[in-house]
Amino acid sequence: MNWQVGDNIPEWAMEEVSAERMRTMAAILRDPNPLHWDRDAVAALPHGLGKRTINQGPLGLGYIVNMLHQWAGEGCVRRLVMRFPQAVLDGETVTARGTINAIRSKNGQTLADCSVRLEHDQRGVLLEGEATVALSSE
Amino acid sequence: MTLQPIPSIHEIESIEGHRFPGGTYRIAHWENFLLTGCTGAELLADSMAHPSALFHLPISGSGTSIAEMFALGQAESDLSIMIESYDWEFFQPLREETDYQVSGGIISAKRCTGDDGNIYDRIQFQFDVALNDGQAVARSTVTWHYTRNTL
Repeated sequence: MNWQVGDNIPEWAMEEVSAERMRTMAAILRDPNPLHWDRDAVAALPHGLGKRTINQGPLGLGYIVNMLHQWAGEGCVRRLVMRFPQAVLDGETVTARGTINAIRSKNGQTLADCSVRLEHDQRGVLLEGEATVALSSE
Repeated sequence: MTLQPIPSIHEIESIEGHRFPGGTYRIAHWENFLLTGCTGAELLADSMAHPSALFHLPISGSGTSIAEMFALGQAESDLSIMIESYDWEFFQPLREETDYQVSGGIISAKRCTGDDGNIYDRIQFQFDVALNDGQAVARSTVTWHYTRNTL
């Protein structure tokens, strides 16, 4: 397909952010932060997040990567910069979305510079950032 | 709320330039299998590791840990760390069962004041991942806020 600036990237949904996956991820990352595996620790925070664990940042980036892989192919990501305006909580449905902002050539590759975000239907944008993706070799 | 002592600006700024020991890391198949599954994806082709490995690979490979990174900024608790951003650059895909050389350290450490008037310390870590022959593979830049007396 011939992609153009302004086109939206086909979205990718995580139907249910899972506390079980967060626990597995905490072990892989050796992440001692109880926010990722202890619902009571999150409930005790003054942020009103309820009794739900908070997803690890790298998992949120992983959802964005999955969207980009589904669109442009595995191994397409050249750069991903993400910021975290809101927490992603267990049990939520979240959707990765993006838009092409520029298409350029560099070292024989066609690159797309995109704005990307992870959204929740009610809470809006949870993660936001920029991605550079290799669309193809010239 | 009882206020906890805040590290001095000098203590925070003095960690800028800190280097981790450096070392190697190999993503095992089981590890990539579990990590990829956690993201909701299927295993990638040709033993490609999921890019989300670019968080823990450089941290472990450079000879540090999340716990040590918290401690270097004198985090009040594990709960007090907020993520500003993660910046991942890939010069080639990560692969399972490949030895990577990793170096890293603290490239910036500054005292800041938020829009709400609260003090926090903004600490930026950067890690470089390369093959044994020196070819650059990836770079990870982690920027965290060490909040003070907000919990």
